[in-house]
Amino acid sequence: MKFIDLLRTAIGNTFRSKARTVLTVIAIFIGAFTLTLTSGIGTGVNDYIDKTVAAFGNDNALFVQKVSEQSTPGSNEGDGPTEYNPDEADVRLGFGSVSGLTDSDIDKIEKIDGVGSVDPMYLVTPKYLESASGKKFKLSLGSPPEADGLQLESGKAPERAKDEILLPASWVEPLGLGSNQDAVGKSVKIAIGNAMDQERTFTAKVSGVSQASLAGPSDNPIPSAGLNKKLYDYQVSGSPKKVPNSYFTATATVDDMSKVGAIKSELSDEHMQGRTVEDQLGMFRAVINGIVWILNSFAIIALLAAGFGIVNTLLMSVQERTREIGLMKALGMSGGKVFGLFSLEAIFIGFLGSAIGAAVAVAAGSILSGVLSNGLLSSLPGLSLFLFNPVNIAAIILSVMFIAFLAGTIPAMRAARQDPITALRYE
Amino acid sequence: MAAPVLETENLVKIYGRGDTRFDALKGINLEIGKGESVAVVGKSGSGKSTLMHLLALLDGPTHGVVALEGRPTGDLSAKELNELRNSAFGFVFQQFFLTPNQSVLENVTLPLKIAGVPAAERKRRGLEALEQLEMADKADNKATDLSGGQKQRVVIARALINNPSVIFADEPTGNLDSATSKVVEDILFGLNRDKGITLVVVTHDEDLAQRCGRQIYLVDGEVVPNLPKSTSGVGGERGGQPGTRPASSTTGPLQVTEPTTGAIVTLSEADAAEIARAAQEPPRAGRHAAPSTTDQPGATA
Repeated sequence: MKFIDLLRTAIGNTFRSKARTVLTVIAIFIGAFTLTLTSGIGTGVNDYIDKTVAAFGNDNALFVQKVSEQSTPGSNEGDGPTEYNPDEADVRLGFGSVSGLTDSDIDKIEKIDGVGSVDPMYLVTPKYLESASGKKFKLSLGSPPEADGLQLESGKAPERAKDEILLPASWVEPLGLGSNQDAVGKSVKIAIGNAMDQERTFTAKVSGVSQASLAGPSDNPIPSAGLNKKLYDYQVSGSPKKVPNSYFTATATVDDMSKVGAIKSELSDEHMQGRTVEDQLGMFRAVINGIVWILNSFAIIALLAAGFGIVNTLLMSVQERTREIGLMKALGMSGGKVFGLFSLEAIFIGFLGSAIGAAVAVAAGSILSGVLSNGLLSSLPGLSLFLFNPVNIAAIILSVMFIAFLAGTIPAMRAARQDPITALRYE
Repeated sequence: MAAPVLETENLVKIYGRGDTRFDALKGINLEIGKGESVAVVGKSGSGKSTLMHLLALLDGPTHGVVALEGRPTGDLSAKELNELRNSAFGFVFQQFFLTPNQSVLENVTLPLKIAGVPAAERKRRGLEALEQLEMADKADNKATDLSGGQKQRVVIARALINNPSVIFADEPTGNLDSATSKVVEDILFGLNRDKGITLVVVTHDEDLAQRCGRQIYLVDGEVVPNLPKSTSGVGGERGGQPGTRPASSTTGPLQVTEPTTGAIVTLSEADAAEIARAAQEPPRAGRHAAPSTTDQPGATA
């Protein structure tokens, strides 16, 4: 028997006892529907995280910080006071200071094999931001490299050399800038104090408006690198003594991501800690993936149950069609072909259930996504809760068909082994 | 006799072992020539069905040889046996074994489908075969919508479709009333006469057996020259009752409704009597596994 005839016969046979086929298909439908939806959530949320990762900066960026040498409980060198080191630079914060990276640290990072370039981050603590109408707002600034990955509502990222600033969407209205589009090109003032406690204002042009995101830094306005440097220079000016440069963090660009592990261990030898974007988001991602896999496993359990439905359906079918099988074997059909016929029936049932299930899940998920992002999840623009990836859906359909095939092997083997003489015996 | 199409040499078939050992065939030697019509006659348990299964290559012998057109078949692979059955043999069974939800044409072309013949050619040859049996107008009907005689014609069309050299007919008229039986018999013997198809009929019906060119009588797995008179025909199959059907029924056929399909089926008196009896009697277990003692009257040849 040719494959096409075998397939046609199998499909025809599937519809012979419609009620039974429909019930089995429904069982598979439920499993495939759930699996498609949960995988849609996985794809949707992970896609959102990926966008957020982009908001944190480049994938190959390593964020380096000084590890404080202050005593930490349980550490070997820790007990007792730490000796004063005049070369160690502290970054002064409002509530104290933390150990910062010094210029020699930056040199050390640059020399590590695999590191391309190092950009120190200037910790700028402006006093306030003043809107055109004269209203003042508390201000903490984001770091310039973060601007590259942000999803923008309007405008563009600040240009390095210009005095520009990127505002979060939530700032536009309080500042009285009108719509997101209107805000672009308007000016705001940033006031900052120096070591002498003098105050100066810098004017910055709004280059664009960024979307809010779940885990990004974009809740803060982000100045251009140039503006940031200007602010920093003013901030450290006026001191009677030259203050050694110190940086809260530096961004190292890694040329070869496979060397990240080695770079991190070298950094930790130098009392520095390097974290990639993935490290920073790893926990978050792990939780989401965990939830998705729990949901997936429910769907897989449903599919396994449906698999037994297929076994049952086909066993009944084999029972009913004993004589037909016997006749086909008597007329020269090989056991292998009989096995193929029943396997194809199982696979077709699996295909029906999974294809319909996936299609309905995609439709339902897309509608639900649309409703949610205009309602419950409207505070998280850019998040579509269900995102359907054709490769995943194809994989789901194929694996359900494979489960169906496995389920079909028991009845198909029984059919293939049937002895034509016994089957044709007329009782 | 023409060149033998089927030959057997010392054919032995034993089922089971030890206490349950049953010698179904005890060394059968026979030759069936090309174009012959042969009746294998015997009671239930005489081994006639076993013999047919071995001749039709549906089963292998315990010992001995079945040769098809001079070629021993013992060392053929399962695949070769399948192909041989598909191309060389046609089967007509007492039960029709038609696939209920398929059309008459699909049922008839099943052997071609199994052989891998393309759909267009299947249809052409299927219609040709149905034409021969005057059933072409029913080609698109569902197989279940036919009367018993029509079904058996479809079965014959199916047996014919691959131009077989041998048609095996196992109680071909067992389910038909006498008038329809005669039509079906005429068709089978017509094919034998006009197309030279070898006909092997397995039956306990002496009338049908007598229409064949030659009779092979089987008693307890052995060929005997003739059945002993004391058995009063060969009606053992139907519970000891003389099962020979009157050649022409005087009371006319009895019509009943077939439960599965709702089709009206015409029955002979003998069949009607059997149905009535079957309704009263508990089913007899293991009828084919071993001959019951009542089925062996005077087996001595």
